[in-house]
Amino acid sequence: MSAPDLTTVPISAPSAPVHPSWAAFTSRLTAQLAFNEDRFFLILAVFIGIFAGLAVVCFRITMEWIHLYLLGSALTPSTWRAFLAPSLTGLAISALVFTVFRGSTGSGLNQTKAALYISNGYIPLRTVIGKFLTASLAIGSGHSLGPEDPSLQIGAGLASAIGTRLDLSRKKMRILAPVGAAAGLAAAFNAPISAVLFVIEEVIGHWSAGILATVVLSAVSSVVTMRLFLGSEPFFRIPPVAMIRWQELVAYSVLGVLGGIASVIFAAAIGWLRPKIKASPRYLQFLYPAIAGLLLGLIAFAGFPQVMGAGYDFMDQAMHGQFTWQILGMLAGLKILATTLSFSSGTPGGMFAPTLFIGAMLGGAVGTVEHLFFPNLTGSVGTYALVGMGVLFAGFLRAPITSVFMALEVSGDYTIILAVLVANMFSYLISRKLQPVPALEQITRQDGLYLPAMEEEREQEVLTVEDAMRPRPAIILDSQKPANDAWTLIRATPEEYFLVRRSSNSIALSSRSDLQRLVDSADPRPLEETQTLSVVPYLHPDEDLQVALRQATNYPLVPVLSRANVSRILGVIDLDDIMKAYRRPDRQSPKKR
Amino acid sequence: MNILKRDFIVREPLLVSILVLLTVALSALTHAYSQAYDRRRSALSIEWFERGKWELGNNRSSAAVEDFRTALVYDPGNWNFRMYLAGALRHAGRTDQALNYYLGLWQNSPNNGPVNLELARLSAQKGDATSAERYFNGAIFGDWPENADTNRRTASLELVNFYLSRGDSGHAESQLIILSDNLPEDSQLHTRVADLFARVGDDQRALSQYRRAIQIDPSGAAAMRGAAEAAFRLGDYHAAQAYVSRSLHLDESDSSAKQRLAVLQSVSELNPYEHGITEAEKIKRTLRVFDIAGNRLSSFSGSSGSAAASSIEPFTERWKQLKATANDRFLSQHPEEIDTLLDFSAAAEKAAGSNGRAPTPDDSAVLAVVNQHEGQDR
Repeated sequence: MSAPDLTTVPISAPSAPVHPSWAAFTSRLTAQLAFNEDRFFLILAVFIGIFAGLAVVCFRITMEWIHLYLLGSALTPSTWRAFLAPSLTGLAISALVFTVFRGSTGSGLNQTKAALYISNGYIPLRTVIGKFLTASLAIGSGHSLGPEDPSLQIGAGLASAIGTRLDLSRKKMRILAPVGAAAGLAAAFNAPISAVLFVIEEVIGHWSAGILATVVLSAVSSVVTMRLFLGSEPFFRIPPVAMIRWQELVAYSVLGVLGGIASVIFAAAIGWLRPKIKASPRYLQFLYPAIAGLLLGLIAFAGFPQVMGAGYDFMDQAMHGQFTWQILGMLAGLKILATTLSFSSGTPGGMFAPTLFIGAMLGGAVGTVEHLFFPNLTGSVGTYALVGMGVLFAGFLRAPITSVFMALEVSGDYTIILAVLVANMFSYLISRKLQPVPALEQITRQDGLYLPAMEEEREQEVLTVEDAMRPRPAIILDSQKPANDAWTLIRATPEEYFLVRRSSNSIALSSRSDLQRLVDSADPRPLEETQTLSVVPYLHPDEDLQVALRQATNYPLVPVLSRANVSRILGVIDLDDIMKAYRRPDRQSPKKR
Repeated sequence: MNILKRDFIVREPLLVSILVLLTVALSALTHAYSQAYDRRRSALSIEWFERGKWELGNNRSSAAVEDFRTALVYDPGNWNFRMYLAGALRHAGRTDQALNYYLGLWQNSPNNGPVNLELARLSAQKGDATSAERYFNGAIFGDWPENADTNRRTASLELVNFYLSRGDSGHAESQLIILSDNLPEDSQLHTRVADLFARVGDDQRALSQYRRAIQIDPSGAAAMRGAAEAAFRLGDYHAAQAYVSRSLHLDESDSSAKQRLAVLQSVSELNPYEHGITEAEKIKRTLRVFDIAGNRLSSFSGSSGSAAASSIEPFTERWKQLKATANDRFLSQHPEEIDTLLDFSAAAEKAAGSNGRAPTPDDSAVLAVVNQHEGQDR
């Protein structure tokens, strides 16, 4: 550093000396007041939750206003309304989707995932507005779709819009979409825990403390906002639930099996019809929402208007034993048909509510039948309906953890956990066996997108250090001995690098060339004092091989130590070992089927 | 938003202030929107509820069910709507649905008196005695929004009737004893309780309640008749005669009271167990009773060969045997035979009655005095 040119320094009056602690204080204050994106991100999560909550409140109210105007205020619409409302609205939706809001089709869930993985979480504001309008029109007019997935996309879209305006970093933008999604879903579903779990389980696929904190903050603030306006009453009243006897688990297993089969039928129906509609000429695609609306009117005319719309009121009735098992069974089947028609036609709207509806009806039917034959053995029909919701959630949406927590969170009763676990497990396993590709994944692939399938990622075998490491080397050098002694030991071996045990019992690394240099210079000092030992990080056998890869690119040899005793060397690993493990044919996981 | 990118402005407080302002503005808009919708929902809920009440009033229960359900869509937590819906389901004959619905209400509010009472009625209707009893007790000790005492009494009375319908007089009587302790000054209520005491066979308490009813309302003909019957069954014929007379005084056209009076007059003439009569009078009355029974048996002689006559035949034979010794002298020497004659007379009257011969006031009097005497002996 050169000395300052004193001739250029202006002469000024002597000033009062700056107190060093005051200078440190102001410096710290300035640093704290400076914009901190990480800190601001947490505050932003709360505001995103509030905005998403407000948006979902408006979305729900708009949807219900439309329902009132188009289908009337009666619980079941008149015949002409049931025919005209969904079909004419279908035409209007097509006009909007084909001209102004092109990105507004679908449920919203896959679109959010696509935005996250393809465009760094960016969702155009136009898509959000389009989803708001078209989904509220569709659901309000009686199309068999739900408001949860659109709410999820609306939340994610709002978050994206705010992040874009604030010019947040790309990394933050990618987190912002799931934060908004969780907020939207939590407000729509009035269940923050389930929303957070679902977003982590199905949208992000992984989590860290930072992500969890922001997602939880946004979900909680959105639910609080929503409850402020719409009240804390759930969308369907949950009767007190209970599992009376352990024998009931048999019935819940049957419910799980039926739920699994229903999930497969539902997924298969959409998987069959949707590509056919997408492959049809454009003018027909324009007409399909209207045609689906007409067919829905036909189902309503046949005596089952309950399948129209999201169906929360009828889920409430099913939970309170207001239908016979035959009607419940019919409603479950017809809802699969109605939702397949509405969704496959390209009408914007979600799959959550129909899934819950089908599950509630199926559960109610099983509960009612069991009640007929074993009246003293059975809990309330409402318990079965509630468990049924979780069953379809596990089977169709393939979100097993969320499905369990959803049933518990909605009921607020943990006594049914055994029933929920058993039923959901059966449903999930049957669905996985009969329909290897999850329904949501199937839909994205039909759209030509290959987004990460969270279920597949969960199933992928994780390679660990122990899959690649070599056994403990025969020679471990002692740092207290001179290089000559070490050279005697290693002279006949082909290795280039050697582990050295230091006096502190930690492990260091030494190379053959360094040792040779010390021998050549007849250095009598112990290795510890020669400055030739390099500190090396260590690994444990159960650690992910990806972690080892990062270490092995910086160090030629990494020791693998026991977790129980870090002075105990279990083996060693280098880059070559890791590459060999990755290349082994039996370790290749089927990424794309 | 470029302004936010400038270092001197890009500060959290400013950004947070902007977001707060935005939140306030959007919240205000959402509030206005939701208020408008809430008003509409409220109006719709009332409209559908009123429509449901009208349908229910016109015996169109199924339509009422749909109307109340629609009202609940717009006001899901309204307890009144839910109660009406449950009631409409019950009126529509959808017993299982009504039961389920009431159970849902009960699980929300297990101490609710009206819900417990409805559940008790439905359980009783379904023959589930254990549940019915539990819910009746829930109604008796539960909370009532208004007229709690009256409603609890109603529940108690229904529970008594429920016990009686199952032939469980013991529980019915216990319930009545509890109930009778706290009865208000209501003649009709005392009469009703007295009737129920009479049904369970507790004539003493029945008479007491009738008397209380008469004290409150001396012109209560029903209480008067009930008191007369109870006193008659208790063997207090003088009191019974007094009550019947007063009853006839209140309603001269009461034919049953007239019949009862005739029986009572016969009893006063025939009763061999009346205190204070001489032994000779007792024998005289016993012989008269025996003759009345004989006359009734002889009324079957015209229908010989019939099933009724065949079943009476042994009594006729026995009567003839006893007739041989039925005289003043024999009975004076063998007073223990008085009871034999009286017992036989009662048995013959019962047999004649069960074979379709309507009793005269004398016949009824014979049965009454002998039964009364047997009851005292027991």
